[in-house]
Amino acid sequence: MDQTILIDENGKRTDGRSIDDLRDVKITIGVLKNADGSASIEFGKNKIMVAVYGPREVHPKHMALPDRCVLRCRYHMSPFSTDTRKNPAPSRREVEISKVMREALEPAIMLEDYPRAAIDVFVEVLQADGGSRCAGIAAASVALADAGVNMKDLVAACAAGKVNDKIVLDINDIEDKEGSADMPVAYLPNLEQITLLQLDGILNESQFNECLEKAIHGCKMVYEIQRKALIEKYFGNDLPEGEEKELEENKEN
Amino acid sequence: MLEIKKRYVIPGDVIIEGNYRPLMNVIKKDNFIIATRIGIAESSKDGIKVIPLSGVYIPRINDIVIGKIVDNSSLSWEVDINACFSAHLPAQDVFGRDFSPAKDDMKKRLAPGDLVTARIITFDRTRDPMLTIQEKDLGKISNGEFLKISSTRVPRLIGKRGSMIQTIEQATQTRILIGQNGILVVTGKNDEGIALAFKAIKLVEEEAHTSNLTQKVKDLLNVSEEITQTETNNSSVNNEHYVNNSNRDNNSNNMANDHSSNINTESPKEVQPH
Repeated sequence: MDQTILIDENGKRTDGRSIDDLRDVKITIGVLKNADGSASIEFGKNKIMVAVYGPREVHPKHMALPDRCVLRCRYHMSPFSTDTRKNPAPSRREVEISKVMREALEPAIMLEDYPRAAIDVFVEVLQADGGSRCAGIAAASVALADAGVNMKDLVAACAAGKVNDKIVLDINDIEDKEGSADMPVAYLPNLEQITLLQLDGILNESQFNECLEKAIHGCKMVYEIQRKALIEKYFGNDLPEGEEKELEENKEN
Repeated sequence: MLEIKKRYVIPGDVIIEGNYRPLMNVIKKDNFIIATRIGIAESSKDGIKVIPLSGVYIPRINDIVIGKIVDNSSLSWEVDINACFSAHLPAQDVFGRDFSPAKDDMKKRLAPGDLVTARIITFDRTRDPMLTIQEKDLGKISNGEFLKISSTRVPRLIGKRGSMIQTIEQATQTRILIGQNGILVVTGKNDEGIALAFKAIKLVEEEAHTSNLTQKVKDLLNVSEEITQTETNNSSVNNEHYVNNSNRDNNSNNMANDHSSNINTESPKEVQPH
C-alpha cells in the first residue's frame, strides 16, 4: 500500500530511529519573562514556544464563570514554520487543535480553585515537524506548572502510528504524510488517565491496542523529560529529586 | 508523623501514603497525598502542605498588600493589588461612618495612581477582596521607588524574623515597604542606595531557592560581619544616622514580623478543601 519505504530492512526509520525510539526532546522553562509561566520545547524538528498568563481577570467580563476558571488555548503556527508560507490567519486545523489542546489540559488543572478568573495558554509553533499538537500539550503543561497553577498532574503527550504495517512510536512529518495511521495521545502519568486520543487512519483492534499502548509508553518517556526540566529549573540539577534536604533558611542563622 | 522534611515536588507527585490532612497546595486522592504545585513539601502535626515556588498572587484575608488606586465609584475606590481580582476600598473606611458621596470629594483623598498600603479584610473568591487602611502603618504612600517581584519570593526576601530585609535596609540606607502581593516601595536618602537595594532584591528574587543566599546578598552589598560590628560601635559618631536607622528598623521589624506571622499562621480557613 505504501509506496515510500519508511522503514528499511534494518528496521531503521527515515531519520535513523528504530520503531520504539522517541525523537530528541528538549524542554526549557522560563523563556519568556513577561508571561507568568513559559516553556519552549524542541521535539525532533518541532520548535514550539508556550506562554501561560494567569489566573488573571477575564476580559470580556461576561465570559467569566462563577464557579470555576476559564481556560483559553490558542494554538498557532507561524507563517515561517513550514517550507511553504503558512497563512497566519487561524485555519480550521488550528481551531481544532486549540480545542483539543484545551480539553487535554483541562482535566489536569484545578479550575475550581480560581473562580471568575481566566488562564490563557498561547502555543506558538516556530518550526513544524509531525506531532506538533503533542509537543504543544507537553510544553503547555510544563508552562502551566511554571506559572504556579494548581494541577492534579502534569500532562504528557506523544503520538504513535502505523507505518509500512508496523506500529511505530512518535511519528514525524514524512511518516505522518506517507504512513497509514497517526494516533496522538495525551496522558496523565500519575493518575493514569487519557485526556486526548485522536486517530487518523485505519487500525484493526489489535493494532489499535498496540498503538495506544506504545503511545502511552511514549508519554511516560516524555513525562520523565518534563519532570527533569522542571526539577532542574527549580531545584538545580545537582539535587536529585526526593532527596531530603534542609531548606536554606535552616542552614543560615 | 514528621516523615517528610522539605522534599522537592512537582504537580502530580505522591508526597505520602496514609491518613494525613491536606493543608495547602495538596489534594487527597484515595489514600495518597498529591502535590499540586512546584515547591517544597512539608509535614507538620496539622497535616501536609507544599510551599509553592511559583505562581501569581492570590489574595488571602489579613494579608498586607500594596495597591494602586485605579478608579473610584461613588462609594468605593477600585484598587489594583496585582492579583486576578481587583480590590475595593470602601469610602466609609477613609471618611468614616458619616461619609456622604455628595459632600466628600474622594479624589482629594486618594486619586487614581496613588499607592496605598492596605490590609485585606474579606475575601472568599466568590467576591472581590475588600481592603482597609484604618490601621497603624497603613494608608497612602507618599514617595518611593516602585518594584514588583513574584509574591512567592516575599517570604524569602523578608527572611527569618526579617533578617534578609534588615540586612538590605541597613547596608543601603533605605526603607523597604513590602506587600504580600509582591509589590515593594523603596525609599532612601540617596539614589545609589536605592539602586543597590534594587539589585539586592533582584538577586533574592532570582536565586530564592539557592542556599547561602544571605551571604550572597552581603557580598553584593559589601557587608562583612566586621563592618557591621564597627558600624554599630561607631554609631555614636554619626548620631543622627543612627537615630534614623533605629527608628526605621523598629518599623521594619514590625512590618516584617507582621508578614512572617502571616505566612506562618496558615489558619484552617485558608485550607483549600478538595
